[in-house]
Amino acid sequence: MIKLFSYIIKRLFSLIPIIIGLSILIFAFLYLIPGDVARMIAGPSATDEVVNSIRMEMGLNRPLYIQYFDFITDFLTGDFGKSYQSGNLIKNEIPQVFIRTLQLAITVQIISFFVGGVLGIISAIWRKTIWDRIIMAISVSGLSLPLFWSALVIQLIFSIYLGVLPPSGYESGFDQFIILPALTLMLPNSGMLARVTRSAIIDVMNFDYVRTARAKGLNNFWVVIKHIVRNALIPMITMTGTNLSRMMGGVIMIEIIFTWPGMGKYVYDALLSKDLPALQTATMLIAILVILINLLVDLSYALIDPRIKYEE
Amino acid sequence: MNAFLNFFKKEPLAFLALIVVVLYILIAIFAPFIATHDPFEVKTSMEVEGEKVYAPYAPGARHWFGTDQLGRDLFSRIVYGIRISIFVGIVARGLSMVVGVLIGLFAGFYGGALDNIVMRITDVFISIPAILLAMIVTLILSPSLTSVIIAIVVVGWPKVARLVRGQVMSITTNDYIEATEALGANNLRIIFKHVLPNCIGIIIVSFSMGIPGAVMYEAGLSFFGLGIQPPNPSLGSIISNGRGYLMFAPWYSIIPGIALALFVLSVNVLGDTLIDYYDPTYNR
Repeated sequence: MIKLFSYIIKRLFSLIPIIIGLSILIFAFLYLIPGDVARMIAGPSATDEVVNSIRMEMGLNRPLYIQYFDFITDFLTGDFGKSYQSGNLIKNEIPQVFIRTLQLAITVQIISFFVGGVLGIISAIWRKTIWDRIIMAISVSGLSLPLFWSALVIQLIFSIYLGVLPPSGYESGFDQFIILPALTLMLPNSGMLARVTRSAIIDVMNFDYVRTARAKGLNNFWVVIKHIVRNALIPMITMTGTNLSRMMGGVIMIEIIFTWPGMGKYVYDALLSKDLPALQTATMLIAILVILINLLVDLSYALIDPRIKYEE
Repeated sequence: MNAFLNFFKKEPLAFLALIVVVLYILIAIFAPFIATHDPFEVKTSMEVEGEKVYAPYAPGARHWFGTDQLGRDLFSRIVYGIRISIFVGIVARGLSMVVGVLIGLFAGFYGGALDNIVMRITDVFISIPAILLAMIVTLILSPSLTSVIIAIVVVGWPKVARLVRGQVMSITTNDYIEATEALGANNLRIIFKHVLPNCIGIIIVSFSMGIPGAVMYEAGLSFFGLGIQPPNPSLGSIISNGRGYLMFAPWYSIIPGIALALFVLSVNVLGDTLIDYYDPTYNR
């Protein structure tokens, strides 16, 4: 237990250089985005004097390393500044926006876990039959369809032709508005999970203890449930975690298309309107979220699988 | 040749996928001969049997896939869009490979501090969702074909570098590398003459399996207005423009999406079956 604890501490420390690197990269990137921020804020009709005074006020005329230092200390103390676009404190906007993204992402993950898991198990048990082929064909299609296009097709079917669900928008989170974006995101996610589950189960099927269980006369169904699925859960769970971080890109696209006002929509709006404080903060937070999810996946590996050693 | 035929006899679906991929490459190369119209020719209204109709026109004998709202022939625009997709896919993925392989080779070979720094840098790049990173890069460079290619390289190189680095690390433990070192070969010679050739297998796989991803990023960026700029056709921007006409002209968005998905799907199917086939446990 102490070993595990020190392993966790060690891993947390190893995040420090990554987060520093991340902040430098994001700071540099946003500095490079063309356009004069002070002039944008002042408006097109402002005189040079006004623009200059805004520049002074915002500290944009100071050396870069001081600006960077400011950015990182502000970020660490939770002072994200004001959004140029809305004029509100970003600190107050983010939590709400973040929760909406979590609503969508977690819903998709949970449903995909079951849908993908069941499809993968069926596929593995009846390997090389027509069912296996059909399920694998569906999975690879789910992975290959461009998300922004499947989103349109789903909107076309359910909102325009059937007219049963709203094409886009947001009300309270878990209502009719979440169905279409969640369905779109599920396609690649469940597909990925079905494939991982299938190969994990096929791997486990060949182990000796499974053969023993069969030899004992247990019927196939119980062998699968008791001995195989339990062991295949490890890769399924880690895949869900990995998917969650990989899914962030998809979430961004889906939020834009379905006007779901979460982190993805927020970061995209900030990007297009060159709202640098909002963009900086949102990008940093999304990236840190991804890093933390990956860390959790690694830790769950170490927790679930005793063969993984804590020291390197 | 025999192994080749055997493979396709066992995997007819992979054969179909191969045909589709070859077809797309041919379309990309011979786009001007395949397109039935000038992809830029605008014609907002025309006479059909004495009646005046306005674009977008539905698919028919004159326009196989219909037209967009300016009356531009969608079949021809999709053909040219495929050409851009394939071009970006190959060039951008190729450049990601060059950058990633070089960095991975040196990091894996020298190890130590260099390796540590390079791996932390890849961690940083991988932590930002790829589409967001690509969007930021195209915005910095202002949207264009070149920016899209650079953005895809920025997004793509870290994973290649990690892959190659891992492979290099396992190769350098081999005796023959030590032997070459003992014979007095310098490091650069070892890296490029002995280590690199042993990585060719995974490099080719990673290159070809990365092409669909690059094609998707180009389409995605163009869909969000940050990629190929009008009037040039890109599958992504055609799909995006069609969004406003989803109700009256669904073909406008749907057909280019199928064109895109079919290519990505075929490459994935082909890759999957090849990897399965060469997996020693295939016949279990």
